[in-house]
Amino acid sequence: MIGPELIGLLGIALLLILLAAGVPIGIGLLLVGLGGLATLISPEAALIKGGVLSFEIIAKYELGVLPLFLLMAHICFAAGASRDFFDVAAKFVGHRRGGLALASIGGCAGFGAISGSSLATVATISSVALPEMRKAGYHPGFAAGALAAGGTLGSLIPPSGALIVFGIIAEQSIGKLFAAAVIPGLSQAVFYLITIVILCAFRPALGPVTARTPWPERLAALRKVIDIFLLILFVIGGLFAGWFTPTEAASVGVVSALLLLFLRGGFTRATVANSLRETLRTTGMIYVVIIGALSFATFISVTGITEVLSGAVTDFHASPLLAIIVMALILLLLGSFLDGVALMLLTTPIFLPIAEQLGYSPIWFGIFLVRTMEIGFVHPPLGLNIYVIQGLAKDLSLGTIFRGVIPFLVADFLHLGLIIAVPALTLWLPGVVGG
Amino acid sequence: MATAADSIAVAGRHAGIPLLGSIELVQVAVVLLASSAMLIVTMARGHASVHIVTERVSPAHAASLARIANLLSGLLFLVLAAGSIWVASDLWYGFEQTELLQIPLRWLRLVWIVFSLLIAARFLLNVWKPAR
Repeated sequence: MIGPELIGLLGIALLLILLAAGVPIGIGLLLVGLGGLATLISPEAALIKGGVLSFEIIAKYELGVLPLFLLMAHICFAAGASRDFFDVAAKFVGHRRGGLALASIGGCAGFGAISGSSLATVATISSVALPEMRKAGYHPGFAAGALAAGGTLGSLIPPSGALIVFGIIAEQSIGKLFAAAVIPGLSQAVFYLITIVILCAFRPALGPVTARTPWPERLAALRKVIDIFLLILFVIGGLFAGWFTPTEAASVGVVSALLLLFLRGGFTRATVANSLRETLRTTGMIYVVIIGALSFATFISVTGITEVLSGAVTDFHASPLLAIIVMALILLLLGSFLDGVALMLLTTPIFLPIAEQLGYSPIWFGIFLVRTMEIGFVHPPLGLNIYVIQGLAKDLSLGTIFRGVIPFLVADFLHLGLIIAVPALTLWLPGVVGG
Repeated sequence: MATAADSIAVAGRHAGIPLLGSIELVQVAVVLLASSAMLIVTMARGHASVHIVTERVSPAHAASLARIANLLSGLLFLVLAAGSIWVASDLWYGFEQTELLQIPLRWLRLVWIVFSLLIAARFLLNVWKPAR
């Protein structure tokens, strides 16, 4: 007789095979989740669980936050907000050594506060910043590396799609997760800025200086982003101040973004319809993934694998820190061939209960998980951000971009180490703002 | 609908005129939105998947893998529909409704069943009509 733990392990192996074979992530999770429940409990139980779970998820008020934040982002893109952040930063610091690379990190951080996605951030900012940097004589690998790394900021800086999905699966407050992501997100950007400054100090040819922009032009550029900046401040600030719930914040964000689109003169039926269409497509994809993830999570909890693994950590008298480092290594290894969402959904049901039993806060764990997942966006062989940049600049080889990203990967590992070593960086703000 | 309900609720609350039942209105909107979004992404063949293997095999093998993926997806959505029909039939005469506005939930369940069947049908159609 096969024990439930072994069935759990076989289920995980089957899931990896299904995902590698190109089965949609949500479907793979659903198949293993319901199939596992049918094996461990009964086919009827699995059938009913599927029926109950799917309706519960689509009728969940809290999950409404996701399509609404996506719609806000798409309307902001339609309003032309995407390139403004980079433009402003470039005008302020472009004349310094590596200034345009610094500006691209600023652009990614600003854009990440509208978008919730790493890929959208890297694609949008790179389309503006990469040609600018190459025109200014920047080393192509360095420029591409800065953008690939900067793009990952979109996954962590609130509102973050990955944190919303984590919040739903782990049943954690999305407001607290957003608050927890602020300091790690900003400090991550600072780590990248320091990396650029150090690189350019030792090899000035990487990022040559460009002409200084006169102050009137700088102020004119600044005026262009004030409306978007106020929108972000209002939505995220209002959420942290307790004026509204995350779903309400997203609704208010949509209304504000529509107003902004109108004021910028882009309010047409076509732009609004396009924003709605894009939002629906992404939303549909994520809902299927969440239904799959929660059925998989139910299966994993029934197998008892997590108790066995956390028991093993206790039996070996391993320190909780060591367990977290091992988790980070496994996440980085799996991140070599699984994309971020699949990685998060596969590992949350297994790792989160272990981390909780070891005394880690689920909010901290969410930030740790997303931060580790982000590294997968830039490290070989998968590194989706790298492929996005290569798609935009086909004359750059993947090797050149991967080499350019190495210094930023070092910064990533140091930053991840800091998040692990100092949990207060993550947990201080949610304690202050509530949520 | 969700945006309007929530935004008016926020404005009303801060103006001292609370809008009762806004959460329930958003809940109804979200059921319609999520169901239609899943159908739209299926029609657009836009589901998230891992391409690391499928991009490295021959086009014929990739097409076979895509057929299998579509077949599995269609069958699983049929399972979800069957499970939802089971649950809905058990609760049909229980007249479930929301607390404040007393919106009947059984019609929302029916909407989801119809959409899950449509999604299953679309996946199964994709088995015979591979992506170009």
